[in-house]
Amino acid sequence: MSTAIQFEHVSRRFVLHHHRARSFQELVIRMLQGQGNGRREVFWALSDVSFEVKKGEMVALVGANGAGKSTVLKLISRIIDPTSGRIIVNGRVGALLELGTGFHPDLTGRENIYLNGAILGLRRDEITRRLDDIIAFAEMERFIDVPVKHYSSGMYVRLGFSVAVHVEPEILLVDEVLAVGDAAFQRRCLERIDQMRANGTTIVFVSHDLNAVRRLCQRAIWLEKGCIVADGSPEAVVGEYATQSYAASAALAARRELCRHGTGEVTIEEVRFLDGEGRLRDFFSTGESFTIEMRYRAHKVIERPVFGIAIHRSDGVHVTGPNTQFAQYEIPMVRGEGVVRYTVPFLPLLEGTYYVSVSSHDRDSICMYDYHDRLYPFCVLSGAEERYGLVTLRGVWSWKEE
Amino acid sequence: MTLIERKGSQTIIVADAELSVTQKPLHVARAVFSYLGELWCYRELLLTLVMRDLKVRYRNSVLGILWSLGNPLLMMAVFTIVFTVMTPSNIEKFPIFVLCGLLPWNFFSASVIGSIRSVVDNAPLIRKVYFPREVLPLSVVLSNLVNFLIALTVLFAFILAFQMPITLWAFLLPVVIIVQVIFTCGVALILATVNVFYRDTQVIMEVAMLAWFFLTPIFYPIDILPRSYHLGDLTIDVWRWMYMLNPMASLIATYRVILYGNGFGGAPPALDFFGRTTVTALGVFILGMLIFFRYKRLFGEEV
Ligand SMILES: Nc1ncnc2c1ncn2[C@@H]1O[C@H](COP(=O)(O)OP(=O)(O)OP(=O)(O)O)[C@@H](O)[C@H]1O
Ligand SMILES: [Mg+2]
Repeated sequence: MSTAIQFEHVSRRFVLHHHRARSFQELVIRMLQGQGNGRREVFWALSDVSFEVKKGEMVALVGANGAGKSTVLKLISRIIDPTSGRIIVNGRVGALLELGTGFHPDLTGRENIYLNGAILGLRRDEITRRLDDIIAFAEMERFIDVPVKHYSSGMYVRLGFSVAVHVEPEILLVDEVLAVGDAAFQRRCLERIDQMRANGTTIVFVSHDLNAVRRLCQRAIWLEKGCIVADGSPEAVVGEYATQSYAASAALAARRELCRHGTGEVTIEEVRFLDGEGRLRDFFSTGESFTIEMRYRAHKVIERPVFGIAIHRSDGVHVTGPNTQFAQYEIPMVRGEGVVRYTVPFLPLLEGTYYVSVSSHDRDSICMYDYHDRLYPFCVLSGAEERYGLVTLRGVWSWKEE
Repeated sequence: MTLIERKGSQTIIVADAELSVTQKPLHVARAVFSYLGELWCYRELLLTLVMRDLKVRYRNSVLGILWSLGNPLLMMAVFTIVFTVMTPSNIEKFPIFVLCGLLPWNFFSASVIGSIRSVVDNAPLIRKVYFPREVLPLSVVLSNLVNFLIALTVLFAFILAFQMPITLWAFLLPVVIIVQVIFTCGVALILATVNVFYRDTQVIMEVAMLAWFFLTPIFYPIDILPRSYHLGDLTIDVWRWMYMLNPMASLIATYRVILYGNGFGGAPPALDFFGRTTVTALGVFILGMLIFFRYKRLFGEEV
């Protein structure tokens, strides 16, 4: 048995009752008014999905909100049933719970470990055997006999995570739980997940953090509206997905108006990212050629305008802020439409998500014509060997024995 | 019905649509079999949940125990004052009479009210982890059983204090309790399921339980009801209907016979009467299991 999970033509339908009575009170009112149960709508959260996960494999599920990722995990863990198809699961399934789901506030940490362990399917003696490890991993020795209602939320998360990973499931399902907790905690979680993978645990990982997907997983499956669009190496699948999804992102369009200000003499109409061959992309590797292209429209003749950009990392670090004036690149005059490009032949940024701001202003920086604050994200994947910090300086090492 | 079959560590989930009509009966049998095996595997979870409830209740141990014992005692005191001082009813050793009905009733009512919410209250867990959902209402009933057993000590203390004999019939007590547990579990499973779909079940049941309390001979003997009641041409045998429609009345009558008799110590219960109650309890239990089993697959999306 080298298969851990097998989906054979699995579909799942949800019936959305738009006006179904949710209480007897409503039911009676409906009946008195002579209304039925109202409109029903059938919604296929998954349609004809087939895939196989091998033992010990770590597979990522990526896709937009509502694509059906959580539905797949719920089917694997038997929380919901398939409408058609067959699912075969070999091995005990465990899930990482959010924020200590299932903890009872009045019980102590120790008692909650037993409670949570039992919910996750462990016997009492199995929990007792792992108790010390669980407490040590959560770094909770001092607080373990205190009721958990006195814990900070960080302690809650740590303890819950610690129980979940020490259950030693053969198949671990991770659904975006790593988004909570501080950076140190996230790193520990990822390390532990990595370790579990090394020990042969099969892992299905749902995350919107595409870098984590690329770094951790051996395979990625891209779901879209309940169907598998792509299934293959994370590099290929994630790259494709990221490029597509960002262009269609509606949330971004909503932000677009909020984060704009300026007097409007020269408006920036469009911002795009291009790779070395001039293709549109939002996804780059360290070391690649990277171009930011701004399409502007001047509503009247402006002399010697200045165009600038700023790049922030997702945690707010201001990486750089070049403009045409600093570079002593003078644009004599603009009128009508045009394009300004900023090209970096070798992108020094290390992996992360970055946000680009663009601006157009006058020579003395008194009048801001248009300014888009961090409206344009792009991702950098670790193409380089370097992986700590913000940038690679492309420094050169040397060594000599004396 | 989706077929879920477990062989060792392998789980096979086959959607209903995949099964042909001829395959179904066999598959249902296999599914039920695996399901029972699974319930057995999760018995420790049931125990842990019962322990959780008890620990939470008795955490502040003095207060917890006092409350379990004090609440029925206070109610007993109120009933005794009302029915021996204010409207004398000539019942021999009234406090014991009333406790014999009150304690089983409190067990029943606390279990029912507690289990109605048990599934909905654990929604975050149900959305995230699989475990047999039955353990949620069942653990509520079992932890209330423990409280009931603790409270029974008060009853025995009173029997001794009133110098009433404890007869051999008291040994039937465990059987009566088991029948009550079976009946209560059935009601709990049904109502917990209904509450998932109609969230005001709980509110309705709080009123219904109050009505049920008055309709059950707890603080009054069934003798005060007329044996028969004339409704036009129809003659209704009130006692018979009370016992048939209300298993709690039968159960409390049995508790009373074996512990209290007529105030002079336990007497033998009528076996055919108790047998019928047992059959009703089993029927309600099986109905509850079936309803729960049928609808629990929807809990994951409804809670
Ligand atoms: N209980 C439910 N009742 C009705 N529809 C549901 C239910 N659960 C999920 N859906 C629908 O199924 C679709 C898939 O949901 P799912 O939770 O799998 O998405 P997802 O890929 O995990 O999205 P996200 O990235 O936002 O977590 C959604 O459109 C959702 O509205
Ligand atoms: Mg999801």
